[in-house]
Amino acid sequence: MFDLNFLNFSLLAFFGFFIGILGSVLGVGGGIFIVPLLVLALGVPIHQAIAVSLVAIVATSSAVASVNVERGLANMRLGVALEVTTALGSIIGALAASRLSSNLIHFFFSIMLAAVSISMFLKGRRSLKRVSSGHFQAAAGGAGGALDSSFFDPSTGSHTSYRVKNMAPASFVSFFAGGLSGLLGIGGGVIQVPVMNLLCGVPFKAAAATSNFLIGVSAAASVFIYLRKGYLIPDLAAVIVIGVLLGSFAGMQILYKARSEKIQIAFSAFVFVVAVKMFMTAF
Amino acid sequence: MDENFSEKKLGKLIQRTLLSGVFLSLFFFFLGFVFRLTGSAAADGLLRTGVWLLALTPAARVIMLVYGYCRTKEYHFALAAFTVLSLLLVSALI
Repeated sequence: MFDLNFLNFSLLAFFGFFIGILGSVLGVGGGIFIVPLLVLALGVPIHQAIAVSLVAIVATSSAVASVNVERGLANMRLGVALEVTTALGSIIGALAASRLSSNLIHFFFSIMLAAVSISMFLKGRRSLKRVSSGHFQAAAGGAGGALDSSFFDPSTGSHTSYRVKNMAPASFVSFFAGGLSGLLGIGGGVIQVPVMNLLCGVPFKAAAATSNFLIGVSAAASVFIYLRKGYLIPDLAAVIVIGVLLGSFAGMQILYKARSEKIQIAFSAFVFVVAVKMFMTAF
Repeated sequence: MDENFSEKKLGKLIQRTLLSGVFLSLFFFFLGFVFRLTGSAAADGLLRTGVWLLALTPAARVIMLVYGYCRTKEYHFALAAFTVLSLLLVSALI
Protein backbone atom coordinates (compact mmCIF):
# COMPACT_ATOMS: atom_id res chain seq x y z
CA MET A 1 0.00 0.00 0.00
CA PHE A 2 2.59 2.57 1.11
CA ASP A 3 6.33 2.02 1.16
CA LEU A 4 8.26 4.32 3.49
CA ASN A 5 11.67 4.30 1.83
CA PHE A 6 14.33 6.95 2.38
CA LEU A 7 13.04 9.15 -0.47
CA ASN A 8 9.45 9.00 0.77
CA PHE A 9 10.62 9.69 4.33
CA SER A 10 12.57 12.79 3.26
CA LEU A 11 9.76 14.06 1.03
CA LEU A 12 7.10 13.56 3.70
CA ALA A 13 9.24 15.19 6.42
CA PHE A 14 9.81 18.14 4.06
CA PHE A 15 6.11 18.44 3.20
CA GLY A 16 5.25 18.11 6.89
CA PHE A 17 7.70 20.92 7.66
CA PHE A 18 6.17 23.08 4.92
CA ILE A 19 2.64 22.33 6.15
CA GLY A 20 3.71 23.25 9.70
CA ILE A 21 5.03 26.64 8.56
CA LEU A 22 1.95 27.23 6.42
CA GLY A 23 -0.33 26.36 9.31
CA SER A 24 1.42 28.90 11.54
CA VAL A 25 1.28 31.66 8.91
CA LEU A 26 -2.27 31.07 7.74
CA GLY A 27 -3.65 30.23 11.16
CA VAL A 28 -5.21 26.99 9.95
CA GLY A 29 -4.59 23.49 11.19
CA GLY A 30 -2.51 21.14 9.10
CA GLY A 31 -5.47 18.84 8.44
CA ILE A 32 -6.70 20.66 5.36
CA PHE A 33 -3.27 20.12 3.76
CA ILE A 34 -2.21 16.75 5.23
CA VAL A 35 -5.28 14.75 4.14
CA PRO A 36 -5.22 15.94 0.47
CA LEU A 37 -1.43 15.45 0.30
CA LEU A 38 -1.65 11.87 1.49
CA VAL A 39 -4.75 11.00 -0.54
CA LEU A 40 -4.12 12.79 -3.83
CA ALA A 41 -0.31 12.74 -4.03
CA LEU A 42 0.53 9.45 -2.31
CA GLY A 43 -2.61 7.40 -2.83
CA VAL A 44 -3.10 6.71 0.88
CA PRO A 45 -6.72 5.61 1.61
CA ILE A 46 -8.71 8.48 3.12
CA HIS A 47 -9.44 6.77 6.47
CA GLN A 48 -5.71 6.23 7.05
CA ALA A 49 -4.94 9.79 5.91
CA ILE A 50 -7.48 11.19 8.39
CA ALA A 51 -5.95 9.13 11.22
CA VAL A 52 -2.46 10.48 10.43
CA SER A 53 -3.79 14.03 10.19
CA LEU A 54 -5.46 13.76 13.60
CA VAL A 55 -2.21 12.54 15.21
CA ALA A 56 -0.39 15.53 13.68
CA ILE A 57 -3.10 17.85 15.04
CA VAL A 58 -2.63 16.42 18.56
CA ALA A 59 1.11 17.05 18.25
CA THR A 60 0.90 20.64 16.98
CA SER A 61 -1.93 21.52 19.35
CA SER A 62 0.03 20.21 22.35
CA ALA A 63 3.24 21.99 21.33
CA VAL A 64 1.63 25.33 20.45
CA ALA A 65 -0.81 25.25 23.40
CA SER A 66 2.09 24.81 25.82
CA VAL A 67 3.39 28.21 24.69
CA ASN A 68 -0.03 29.90 24.63
CA VAL A 69 -0.98 28.63 28.09
CA GLU A 70 2.27 29.92 29.57
CA ARG A 71 1.69 33.33 27.91
CA GLY A 72 -1.85 33.40 29.30
CA LEU A 73 -3.26 33.71 25.78
CA ALA A 74 -5.33 30.51 25.87
CA ASN A 75 -8.39 30.72 28.11
CA MET A 76 -8.22 27.31 29.82
CA ARG A 77 -11.61 27.63 31.58
CA LEU A 78 -13.36 28.44 28.31
CA GLY A 79 -11.40 25.69 26.60
CA VAL A 80 -12.38 22.98 29.06
CA ALA A 81 -16.02 24.12 29.03
CA LEU A 82 -16.19 23.81 25.24
CA GLU A 83 -14.19 20.57 25.22
CA VAL A 84 -17.14 18.65 26.67
CA THR A 85 -19.33 18.99 23.57
CA THR A 86 -16.38 19.12 21.14
CA ALA A 87 -15.02 15.76 22.39
CA LEU A 88 -18.48 14.23 22.21
CA GLY A 89 -18.93 15.46 18.63
CA SER A 90 -15.48 14.22 17.73
CA ILE A 91 -16.23 10.68 18.96
CA ILE A 92 -19.49 10.59 16.99
CA GLY A 93 -17.71 12.00 13.90
CA ALA A 94 -14.98 9.35 14.06
CA LEU A 95 -17.52 6.56 14.53
CA ALA A 96 -19.53 7.88 11.57
CA ALA A 97 -16.37 8.08 9.41
CA SER A 98 -15.54 4.45 10.10
CA ARG A 99 -18.96 3.49 8.71
CA LEU A 100 -18.97 5.77 5.67
CA SER A 101 -17.51 4.88 2.28
CA SER A 102 -14.29 6.55 1.09
CA ASN A 103 -16.14 8.23 -1.78
CA LEU A 104 -18.61 9.90 0.54
CA ILE A 105 -15.78 11.20 2.78
CA HIS A 106 -13.97 12.49 -0.34
CA PHE A 107 -17.17 14.35 -1.21
CA PHE A 108 -17.59 15.85 2.29
CA PHE A 109 -13.92 16.81 2.39
CA SER A 110 -14.14 18.62 -0.95
CA ILE A 111 -17.16 20.62 0.25
CA MET A 112 -15.32 21.53 3.47
CA LEU A 113 -12.20 22.58 1.48
CA ALA A 114 -14.27 24.79 -0.82
CA ALA A 115 -15.82 26.50 2.21
CA VAL A 116 -12.36 27.00 3.81
CA SER A 117 -11.01 28.37 0.53
CA ILE A 118 -13.81 30.98 0.28
CA SER A 119 -13.37 31.89 3.95
CA MET A 120 -9.59 32.30 3.49
CA PHE A 121 -10.11 34.51 0.44
CA LEU A 122 -12.64 36.75 2.21
CA LYS A 123 -10.52 36.97 5.38
CA GLY A 124 -7.43 37.87 3.37
CA ARG A 125 -9.28 40.59 1.45
CA ARG A 126 -10.85 42.02 4.59
CA SER A 127 -7.46 42.17 6.34
CA LEU A 128 -5.86 43.90 3.36
CA LYS A 129 -8.60 46.54 3.28
CA ARG A 130 -8.27 47.22 6.98
CA VAL A 131 -5.42 49.69 7.35
CA SER A 132 -5.02 49.40 11.07
CA SER A 133 -7.71 47.20 12.45
CA GLY A 134 -9.46 48.46 15.54
CA HIS A 135 -8.37 46.41 18.45
CA PHE A 136 -10.91 44.44 20.33
CA GLN A 137 -12.96 46.44 22.71
CA ALA A 138 -11.79 45.80 26.19
CA ALA A 139 -14.41 44.82 28.68
CA ALA A 140 -15.40 47.41 31.20
CA GLY A 141 -14.01 46.94 34.68
CA GLY A 142 -15.82 45.18 37.45
CA ALA A 143 -16.37 41.61 38.43
CA GLY A 144 -17.22 39.32 35.55
CA GLY A 145 -18.14 35.69 34.99
CA ALA A 146 -15.94 32.70 35.75
CA LEU A 147 -14.95 32.35 32.09
CA ASP A 148 -13.86 35.98 31.63
CA SER A 149 -10.17 36.53 31.19
CA SER A 150 -7.44 38.89 30.05
CA PHE A 151 -4.12 38.60 28.28
CA PHE A 152 -1.10 40.72 27.45
CA ASP A 153 -1.04 41.74 23.81
CA PRO A 154 2.55 42.59 22.70
CA SER A 155 1.27 44.40 19.58
CA THR A 156 -0.58 46.98 21.71
CA GLY A 157 1.70 46.73 24.74
CA SER A 158 -1.29 46.45 27.06
CA HIS A 159 -3.59 43.96 28.74
CA THR A 160 -6.84 43.16 26.96
CA SER A 161 -9.73 41.99 29.13
CA TYR A 162 -12.85 40.39 27.77
CA ARG A 163 -16.12 38.88 28.88
CA VAL A 164 -17.36 35.56 27.56
CA LYS A 165 -21.01 35.38 26.53
CA ASN A 166 -23.40 33.02 24.70
CA MET A 167 -21.86 29.83 26.06
CA ALA A 168 -24.94 27.66 25.38
CA PRO A 169 -25.04 28.26 21.59
CA ALA A 170 -21.23 28.14 21.45
CA SER A 171 -21.23 24.69 23.10
CA PHE A 172 -23.88 23.55 20.62
CA VAL A 173 -21.85 24.69 17.59
CA SER A 174 -18.68 23.20 19.13
CA PHE A 175 -20.34 19.81 19.01
CA PHE A 176 -20.48 20.10 15.20
CA ALA A 177 -16.90 21.40 15.04
CA GLY A 178 -15.85 18.27 16.94
CA GLY A 179 -17.95 16.11 14.61
CA LEU A 180 -16.25 17.61 11.57
CA SER A 181 -12.86 17.03 13.17
CA GLY A 182 -13.53 13.34 13.79
CA LEU A 183 -15.15 12.83 10.41
CA LEU A 184 -12.62 14.63 8.20
CA GLY A 185 -9.40 14.79 10.22
CA ILE A 186 -9.26 18.55 10.55
CA GLY A 187 -8.73 20.49 13.78
CA GLY A 188 -12.05 22.28 13.68
CA GLY A 189 -10.47 25.69 14.26
CA VAL A 190 -12.22 26.98 11.12
CA ILE A 191 -15.44 26.79 13.15
CA GLN A 192 -14.17 27.21 16.73
CA VAL A 193 -12.29 30.49 16.17
CA PRO A 194 -15.23 32.39 14.56
CA VAL A 195 -17.60 30.94 17.18
CA MET A 196 -15.47 32.17 20.08
CA ASN A 197 -14.68 35.46 18.37
CA LEU A 198 -18.09 36.43 17.02
CA LEU A 199 -20.49 34.55 19.30
CA CYS A 200 -18.66 34.56 22.64
CA GLY A 201 -16.93 37.93 22.22
CA VAL A 202 -13.40 36.60 22.73
CA PRO A 203 -10.66 38.67 21.01
CA PHE A 204 -9.26 36.95 17.90
CA LYS A 205 -5.81 36.17 19.34
CA ALA A 206 -7.26 34.59 22.49
CA ALA A 207 -9.90 32.75 20.42
CA ALA A 208 -7.22 31.27 18.12
CA ALA A 209 -5.07 30.24 21.11
CA THR A 210 -8.04 28.73 22.98
CA SER A 211 -9.19 26.88 19.86
CA ASN A 212 -5.70 25.46 19.48
CA PHE A 213 -5.75 24.44 23.14
CA LEU A 214 -8.99 22.49 22.85
CA ILE A 215 -8.60 20.84 19.41
CA GLY A 216 -5.87 18.59 20.84
CA VAL A 217 -8.45 16.89 23.05
CA SER A 218 -11.06 16.49 20.31
CA ALA A 219 -8.43 15.12 17.90
CA ALA A 220 -7.17 12.70 20.58
CA ALA A 221 -10.71 11.41 21.17
CA SER A 222 -10.92 10.55 17.44
CA VAL A 223 -7.37 9.17 17.30
CA PHE A 224 -8.26 6.51 19.89
CA ILE A 225 -11.11 5.32 17.67
CA TYR A 226 -9.01 5.29 14.48
CA LEU A 227 -6.23 3.47 16.38
CA ARG A 228 -8.60 0.79 17.65
CA LYS A 229 -10.14 0.35 14.19
CA GLY A 230 -6.62 -0.27 12.79
CA TYR A 231 -6.57 2.74 10.46
CA LEU A 232 -3.34 4.25 11.74
CA ILE A 233 -0.02 3.70 9.93
CA PRO A 234 2.56 4.47 12.69
CA ASP A 235 5.52 5.09 10.30
CA LEU A 236 3.53 7.59 8.27
CA ALA A 237 2.15 9.32 11.37
CA ALA A 238 5.61 9.58 12.96
CA VAL A 239 7.31 11.15 9.95
CA ILE A 240 4.47 13.63 9.37
CA VAL A 241 4.44 14.57 13.09
CA ILE A 242 8.21 15.20 13.08
CA GLY A 243 7.97 17.41 9.98
CA VAL A 244 4.87 19.32 11.06
CA LEU A 245 6.21 19.94 14.59
CA LEU A 246 9.52 21.31 13.30
CA GLY A 247 7.61 23.43 10.78
CA SER A 248 5.23 24.79 13.44
CA PHE A 249 8.12 25.83 15.69
CA ALA A 250 9.92 27.42 12.74
CA GLY A 251 6.71 29.16 11.68
CA MET A 252 6.17 30.58 15.16
CA GLN A 253 9.76 31.82 15.40
CA ILE A 254 10.52 33.07 11.88
CA LEU A 255 7.24 34.14 10.37
CA TYR A 256 5.37 35.35 13.43
CA LYS A 257 5.37 38.91 12.15
CA ALA A 258 4.98 38.16 8.45
CA ARG A 259 1.93 39.57 6.68
CA SER A 260 -0.21 36.61 5.90
CA GLU A 261 -3.07 38.33 4.03
CA LYS A 262 -1.59 38.00 0.53
CA ILE A 263 -0.44 34.43 1.22
CA GLN A 264 -3.97 33.72 2.42
CA ILE A 265 -5.53 34.97 -0.83
CA ALA A 266 -3.00 33.04 -2.93
CA PHE A 267 -3.57 29.85 -0.98
CA SER A 268 -7.34 30.20 -1.10
CA ALA A 269 -7.04 29.57 -4.87
CA PHE A 270 -4.77 26.57 -4.24
CA VAL A 271 -7.16 25.11 -1.66
CA PHE A 272 -10.04 25.56 -4.11
CA VAL A 273 -8.15 23.62 -6.79
CA VAL A 274 -7.49 20.83 -4.25
CA ALA A 275 -11.22 20.89 -3.38
CA VAL A 276 -12.13 20.38 -7.06
CA LYS A 277 -9.58 17.56 -7.40
CA MET A 278 -10.91 15.89 -4.26
CA PHE A 279 -14.48 16.32 -5.52
CA MET A 280 -13.55 14.56 -8.78
CA THR A 281 -12.13 11.57 -6.89
CA ALA A 282 -15.43 11.17 -5.04
CA PHE A 283 -17.17 9.81 -8.16
CA MET B 1 -9.28 29.09 46.76
CA ASP B 2 -5.81 27.67 47.42
CA GLU B 3 -3.65 30.79 47.47
CA ASN B 4 -0.47 28.76 46.91
CA PHE B 5 -1.79 27.33 43.68
CA SER B 6 -2.27 30.22 41.31
CA GLU B 7 -3.46 30.33 37.69
CA LYS B 8 0.17 30.82 36.67
CA LYS B 9 1.23 27.63 38.45
CA LEU B 10 -1.55 25.69 36.74
CA GLY B 11 -0.41 27.11 33.39
CA LYS B 12 3.16 25.97 34.12
CA LEU B 13 1.91 22.50 35.08
CA ILE B 14 -0.10 22.22 31.86
CA GLN B 15 2.85 23.47 29.80
CA ARG B 16 5.20 20.88 31.33
CA THR B 17 2.68 18.08 30.84
CA LEU B 18 2.12 18.93 27.16
CA LEU B 19 5.81 19.37 26.36
CA SER B 20 6.75 16.16 28.21
CA GLY B 21 4.21 14.20 26.16
CA VAL B 22 5.37 15.71 22.86
CA PHE B 23 9.09 15.20 23.53
CA LEU B 24 8.60 11.70 24.91
CA SER B 25 6.68 10.63 21.81
CA LEU B 26 9.29 12.30 19.57
CA PHE B 27 11.97 10.31 21.41
CA PHE B 28 10.09 7.07 20.64
CA PHE B 29 9.62 8.13 16.99
CA PHE B 30 13.34 8.77 16.52
CA LEU B 31 14.20 5.54 18.29
CA GLY B 32 11.66 3.72 16.12
CA PHE B 33 13.21 5.07 12.92
CA VAL B 34 16.73 4.16 14.09
CA PHE B 35 15.53 0.60 14.74
CA ARG B 36 13.73 0.62 11.37
CA LEU B 37 17.03 1.50 9.64
CA THR B 38 18.76 -1.41 11.39
CA GLY B 39 15.91 -3.69 10.31
CA SER B 40 14.92 -4.52 13.87
CA ALA B 41 11.43 -5.83 14.55
CA ALA B 42 11.19 -3.56 17.61
CA ALA B 43 10.63 -0.53 15.32
CA ASP B 44 6.89 -1.16 14.96
CA GLY B 45 6.36 -1.33 18.71
CA LEU B 46 8.40 1.82 19.34
CA LEU B 47 6.56 3.86 16.70
CA ARG B 48 3.19 2.59 17.95
CA THR B 49 4.18 3.52 21.53
CA GLY B 50 5.10 7.01 20.29
CA VAL B 51 1.65 7.42 18.71
CA TRP B 52 -0.11 6.20 21.89
CA LEU B 53 1.99 8.54 24.06
CA LEU B 54 1.06 11.44 21.81
CA ALA B 55 -2.63 10.53 21.87
CA LEU B 56 -2.49 10.27 25.68
CA THR B 57 -0.85 13.70 26.07
CA PRO B 58 -4.14 15.68 25.92
CA ALA B 59 -5.63 13.18 28.40
CA ALA B 60 -2.72 13.81 30.79
CA ARG B 61 -3.33 17.55 30.35
CA VAL B 62 -7.02 17.05 31.26
CA ILE B 63 -6.01 15.08 34.40
CA MET B 64 -3.82 18.05 35.41
CA LEU B 65 -6.80 20.37 34.88
CA VAL B 66 -8.97 18.20 37.16
CA TYR B 67 -6.21 18.35 39.79
CA GLY B 68 -5.64 22.08 39.31
CA TYR B 69 -9.29 23.09 39.52
CA CYS B 70 -9.75 20.89 42.60
CA ARG B 71 -6.81 22.70 44.21
CA THR B 72 -8.34 26.10 43.38
CA LYS B 73 -11.75 24.80 44.53
CA GLU B 74 -13.36 25.64 41.17
CA TYR B 75 -15.31 22.41 41.26
CA HIS B 76 -17.56 23.11 38.27
CA PHE B 77 -14.47 23.37 36.03
CA ALA B 78 -13.00 20.26 37.68
CA LEU B 79 -16.27 18.47 36.85
CA ALA B 80 -16.14 19.68 33.23
CA ALA B 81 -12.55 18.44 32.94
CA PHE B 82 -13.54 15.12 34.54
CA THR B 83 -16.38 14.75 32.00
CA VAL B 84 -13.89 15.33 29.16
CA LEU B 85 -11.58 12.73 30.71
CA SER B 86 -14.46 10.24 30.86
CA LEU B 87 -15.26 10.91 27.18
CA LEU B 88 -11.62 10.25 26.27
CA LEU B 89 -11.76 7.00 28.21
CA VAL B 90 -14.96 5.99 26.40
CA SER B 91 -13.36 6.74 23.00
CA ALA B 92 -10.33 4.60 23.93
CA LEU B 93 -12.56 1.68 24.89
CA ILE B 94 -15.11 1.77 22.05
